[in-house]
Amino acid sequence: MRAMLMLEAILLLALIAITLVVIFDKDLMVVVITYCAFSFITMFLYIVMGAPDVAFTEAVIGVISTIYFIMTLKNIDRRCK
Amino acid sequence: MKKVLPLILILVCLGAAFWSFDFLPEIGDAGSKPNTHTTDYYIEHATTETNSPNMVTSVIVDYRAFDTMYETTVMFIAGVAALLILSSSPNRKNRIRTHHVRKNREHRGAPVYRTVNKEVVITIVKPLILLYAIYVLFHGEVSLGGGFQAGALMGMTYILDAMVIPEREGFRLSKENSAALGGVGTFIYVLTGILCMVGGGVFLEYKKLPLPVEVLEKHSVGMLLVEIGVAICVMATIITILNAIMERVHFDDDTN
Repeated sequence: MRAMLMLEAILLLALIAITLVVIFDKDLMVVVITYCAFSFITMFLYIVMGAPDVAFTEAVIGVISTIYFIMTLKNIDRRCK
Repeated sequence: MKKVLPLILILVCLGAAFWSFDFLPEIGDAGSKPNTHTTDYYIEHATTETNSPNMVTSVIVDYRAFDTMYETTVMFIAGVAALLILSSSPNRKNRIRTHHVRKNREHRGAPVYRTVNKEVVITIVKPLILLYAIYVLFHGEVSLGGGFQAGALMGMTYILDAMVIPEREGFRLSKENSAALGGVGTFIYVLTGILCMVGGGVFLEYKKLPLPVEVLEKHSVGMLLVEIGVAICVMATIITILNAIMERVHFDDDTN
């Protein structure tokens, strides 16, 4: 139980770190890839919480949304001010 | 002022969220409010009533089938909305374009160095993902997964094909056809419900399906039909959004 709580805490801290990168990074490509990692860690959180079907959905949809973002990035400038 | 006001708003919302943690029931608490009404009923009756080993599936597509129907409809509407917004006669001047993108059209004939043959990889990977999608679809009531996940996997197969080899002629859905296919998925869902009414039951009452099988089998068949509808709708919505984005993106060459 204690180990599970520790794991959950580490995953949540990683989510906060990723969110800070997503907010403050200037390179949109970095932001998109890091956001993919956000979805990946959320997937682990769902598994820890005992909802594997939601985790499955999150895994698939995380990949697809990343593809959409990258396709959009092909048409706009990567750097933002 | 412009920056302080949102900050205060965010802090208030965060504070309210953290404050409300105290009132949430503990995970697994048998005496909490939601665990004393419906949960007991589902746990005791789900397997015998719906013939589905997976309780989540039985709740989603049997006890709350009506709810899921409108979720599917919302998904279809989302795809159509994305298509309408993104492809509404793009004003060329307002289009965001970068300085360096798509200037070098003359490079098209230049040699392209590849380490891996993309087409070979896709040919190997695509059927495996499709097979897995169909496995997930048909085992939705036994294992985790179901219509949504299967549809997303099928959509991913299409995206792989359309993204990696955009120039190849193959199975391609136009934007109108993909939006229409989403409607077909929703229609299959509703049709299952109406078939139950034809058999003498109420809307989406699977045990009244007019089929020559036993009652519990009818539940399985009804769930399967509904999940096929959801899968088609999800796949078509994903393809629709892809088509809508493709309207604005141009694949000219491999550089960049």
